[in-house]
Amino acid sequence: MPVEFASDDWAKQFKDEVNKSNVYKSAAKGWKWTVGLVVEAEPDKNFPEARGVVMDLFDGEARDIKVGSAADAQKCDFVITAPYSRWKQVATKELDATKGMLQGKLKLKGDLPTIVRYTKASQEMTECTSRVPVEWPDER
Amino acid sequence: MHIPGTGRMARRTVDALADEAGLVKYGSNEPSAFAGMLGGLIEANVVANPDKRKDFDALAARVGIWVTDIDEGVTLAFDGGRLTVYNGLEPNLTLTIRADADTVMSLSNLKIGLLGMPVYYDGVGRGVALQLMRGKLRIDGLLTNIATLNRVTRVFSVQ
Repeated sequence: MPVEFASDDWAKQFKDEVNKSNVYKSAAKGWKWTVGLVVEAEPDKNFPEARGVVMDLFDGEARDIKVGSAADAQKCDFVITAPYSRWKQVATKELDATKGMLQGKLKLKGDLPTIVRYTKASQEMTECTSRVPVEWPDER
Repeated sequence: MHIPGTGRMARRTVDALADEAGLVKYGSNEPSAFAGMLGGLIEANVVANPDKRKDFDALAARVGIWVTDIDEGVTLAFDGGRLTVYNGLEPNLTLTIRADADTVMSLSNLKIGLLGMPVYYDGVGRGVALQLMRGKLRIDGLLTNIATLNRVTRVFSVQ
């Protein structure tokens, strides 16, 4: 059953997908930093307030994924920021996250060599996002 | 448990285009996201690793990188311990690398082996070699500049 994007239910299903993925488990071995996703508001898309997704990822496992404020996500070691509609493009595979970052469509903050070293893990994480059935606010 | 925001990592961010170590500058008033990323990546590598710093100091070459699936590129103008990153491809390039985004990321993940040679026999290396054979990775100027390419790869690699 579809869940609301960037809701607590969505975060739970996303975490389950990450922890089910053997590809992620292997590609993210050694990762020990938190990742925050900032989803910027787009009131005209029925997404009126920014939200933050805080991911506690450790050595190939998602220990916790929570939805909170954008400020919570901005405190993480790595922060990826984009408007709601860009995140929708990523989750629906319309936009490849790596290309999005190279084009500046997704803004990345954090230690670059580390994130580049874990490109495969971040790609698999995007795959995991796309496996969660989502009810998009702008389609309601 | 890791506590977010404790500042345990040395942060080097893409959005902070300030030339922290004085090694990298940008040739455009508004560097593209790709230019900022490559400049930041190389600077972080060189600052953190004395071997890469030696390579960086010895490099004098103009290297173009064109990402075929986003139609964007940069020119890396290495000048003996200084790097200027330009948006787009500039004239008079020593080497021009053309590949899709995934292959460019793979190039920065090539391991460096014995005698400072990039490793082409592990998973990442085989993938890069395969793209080269299939013509999906094109390197203009390769035959006459192999030593320069290896040096650029070492500076560029995060491994």
